[in-house]
Amino acid sequence: MNELVFESPAQRALETARARGAAYTDIRFEDGRSERIEVRNGVVVTLSDDRTVGYGVRAFYDGAWGFAAGDDLSDAGLDATAARAVAIAKAGAAVASRRFAEAPAERYVDRYATPIERAPSDVPLGERVALLLEAERALHATPRISVGRAWSDAWRTEKEFYSTTGSKIAQLLYQTGSGISALAVGEHDAQDRTFPGDVGLYKAGGWEVVESAQLTENAARIGEEASRLLDAPQCPSGEMDIVLGGSQVSLQIHESCGHAAELDRIMGWEANFSGTSFLDPSLLGKLRYGSDKVTIVIDNTLPGAFATVAYDDEGSKSVRSDIIRNGMLVGFEMSRDTARTIGRDTNACVRAQSWRHIPMIRMCNLNLLPGDVPFEALFEGIRDGVYIESNRSWSIDDHRLNFQFGCEIGWEIKNGRRGRMLKNPTYAGVTPRFWNSCDAIADERSWVAWGTPNCGKGEPMQTGRTSQAAAPARFRKVRVGVGYDG
Amino acid sequence: MDRAARESLAHKILALTDRGENEVIVFAADDGLTRFTHNAIHQNVAHAETTLRLRTVIDGRTGVASANALDDAALAELAARAAAMAQLSARDDVFPGLAQSTAAEAPSGAFVAATAQATPDLRARRAAEIFGVAERNELWAAGYVKTGSQGITIANSRGTLASFDGTDCGLNIKQNAADSAGFAEWNGNDVGALDAGRAASIAADKAVRSRAPESIEPGEWTVIIESPAFGELISYLTDHFGAQAFDEGSSFLSEGLDRKYVGENVSIFDDYAHPLAPSMPFDYEGVAKQRVALFERGVAKNVVTDSYWAAKLGRPNTGHALPAPNSEGPLPTNVVVAPGTKTTAQLIAETKRGVLVSRFWYIRPVDLRRTIVTGMTRDGTFLIEKGQIVRGVRNMRFNQSILAALGNVEFSSEPARSAAYSYSSVVPAAKIEGFRFTSSTDF
Repeated sequence: MNELVFESPAQRALETARARGAAYTDIRFEDGRSERIEVRNGVVVTLSDDRTVGYGVRAFYDGAWGFAAGDDLSDAGLDATAARAVAIAKAGAAVASRRFAEAPAERYVDRYATPIERAPSDVPLGERVALLLEAERALHATPRISVGRAWSDAWRTEKEFYSTTGSKIAQLLYQTGSGISALAVGEHDAQDRTFPGDVGLYKAGGWEVVESAQLTENAARIGEEASRLLDAPQCPSGEMDIVLGGSQVSLQIHESCGHAAELDRIMGWEANFSGTSFLDPSLLGKLRYGSDKVTIVIDNTLPGAFATVAYDDEGSKSVRSDIIRNGMLVGFEMSRDTARTIGRDTNACVRAQSWRHIPMIRMCNLNLLPGDVPFEALFEGIRDGVYIESNRSWSIDDHRLNFQFGCEIGWEIKNGRRGRMLKNPTYAGVTPRFWNSCDAIADERSWVAWGTPNCGKGEPMQTGRTSQAAAPARFRKVRVGVGYDG
Repeated sequence: MDRAARESLAHKILALTDRGENEVIVFAADDGLTRFTHNAIHQNVAHAETTLRLRTVIDGRTGVASANALDDAALAELAARAAAMAQLSARDDVFPGLAQSTAAEAPSGAFVAATAQATPDLRARRAAEIFGVAERNELWAAGYVKTGSQGITIANSRGTLASFDGTDCGLNIKQNAADSAGFAEWNGNDVGALDAGRAASIAADKAVRSRAPESIEPGEWTVIIESPAFGELISYLTDHFGAQAFDEGSSFLSEGLDRKYVGENVSIFDDYAHPLAPSMPFDYEGVAKQRVALFERGVAKNVVTDSYWAAKLGRPNTGHALPAPNSEGPLPTNVVVAPGTKTTAQLIAETKRGVLVSRFWYIRPVDLRRTIVTGMTRDGTFLIEKGQIVRGVRNMRFNQSILAALGNVEFSSEPARSAAYSYSSVVPAAKIEGFRFTSSTDF
């Protein structure tokens, strides 16, 4: 089990902040290692091994927070960074018209490590590169494939969290993912296909996550589909029933539920950049967000899900909590500060991209619970509709209501059966209306915890790693073909 | 870390390498950002760091390692990791060797000492000015004030040595009322020129004037898109001018260069030395950046290259490499759109019926080759009638080909620097005919 490496420097920084007047301080050390391999048309275009070690200090003074981050682990560096955090908090307090409530009081002493079968670093690099070269080669099923890509990402992060309330938390986290994509180019058109999902398959775990993705086994099909899309008819426009593939449902959750239910966003903390939300605390228990088929939960304990940890980045213990229960809005993603404003306890949804970044609310693992019908049964009862898979375009307004998604591939549905391939499928809607049109969700056999490695939020901008477990689902009377209908 | 220390460190790392060709990037940053909402600071941060990036190429096989530890053991480990990666990589027969660069001079105004020395107290005072404007107008402000300095040194085993120090600062303000909002931004290098009160007033005026917005019908509209919105929109076109997208077929330019794609009044350049945005004069291989015409009088003239794509396509190296490794190839990063002759006020005055857009949100490509993108208006959208701004309108979604938009465009004479996490450009406001709004909202 991982040992505490940074306890001595942590105590020095906490003491420095205390001496400068901070009422509460925490410090988060991270030793992060990330490796990316990317193959493009037979060439290994990326083979990188990045290591970063540093710490971020949060200091609370007179109702204001200050955050400073540094990579200087010397005594002088620790003192300077801790002092800077306090100075920043004091600068904020000096112009504050409103103040945060009291400092945190929780205390945890614990250790955690992501369960893995094979650490990526234990798999010979040549073996890892060879897997991706083979998968990429298989994408070139037709001469119309202009670009084949295969990639893997592996993160190993050692985190240590210390606070002036006595918390000491050590976590060793593994996150891994991989994918393939093919770009087919025709005379005046280009079509792409990606697998698995739209960004690959990303989970908490080791190299077994890459092996489970079955990249090579699916590569020829993905290449052929990209080529066939060049000849496929345009997806029709109009109001119709649709079935969304699991990874697209995952993104739909991410954009139109996950971000909408971030309590910091609801409170206006993201107003100038990633926006606000159509939700507010008065709607808890009152807003019918979706149909009674729709239950969405935060579960940062879900084994293998991309954002699973034991403690978040302000030292709160992971829990499972409901956000939407049988269609009713019942909860938000929260931090300690924000939860307190609505009389609740945090559900440990606070993460930072790295030691450099201030922790903020993230949707972490936000899961749509599976339904009770086999995947194939979703097509039943649809006379004229479209089955849509793999996102390539996503946009939603800054209140999280009006959305438009475009996907890589579709198939028409005629009289309950999947028919011919369609290109450029798009659909649009308004969040609660759309989720209330959901009348069936596939069962747990097609339920996948889809990781999202590139969620943007905050200023300075942070890239978060989230996960939305989902199964394919059916939605009635949706506007399809937007963007191509004029 | 100053220039001399970075150069010394770069040479020390190169001395630790013993195989193939090697390139070191030393990047030192010290940044602060004070973020606020509801007229109070809620996220107040600073970050100081020096990072190292080592690219090792052995017989056409490339490995890259990075680190931020600077002790001798860490440097030796960095060199060993890059070499180990390179040995296991696949050979790329196109690799032309690392670049040999000539000196490039930093443009005037790129580094301002006062910006580098800015304190959290200074940022808090600027934020307080913004709060004052908001309170006087019964609004609440959200946004940030930021200051920072960055130093970079690039050195390689072929003798390339390039160093640059720059500063940047800026503010971003959204003034909020119960049913409206207004936006203003300012981006520069000199914190002394950062006028928080002026920007806060511009945003407040928009928020006040767009109160009680009304709906308008989606459809084809004449729009006047102010520079913060146009800067974001145009960033989804300029990536098409990268050599990799051009070669692989995902760019609209794959139909060919030296063709007229947009109106004759459209000229777009990549220019690191523009006075509104003086920046790094070389790319991430240390090669001097060229001023490149992307569109000249509506005709697509060039794609931007780095050493790899210049060799692969047999084109000149324009000095647009991103840090290795990257999967996007070279890209234009200092986009400048040539202005027109009329002020934005004149463009509005000449509009019989149209929409004034202050800012866009969440633009995403719908169809790459046809350059169709979708996105939303936000933070100050107005109806123009008979040359006057008459009221605020509720926000709308658009689906629009950027090339088609640039076929019916007139630019203002007032360029401004627009920037966000993914782009920085110098752009005027743009008046576009036949802009397609496809749906509306209730806010």
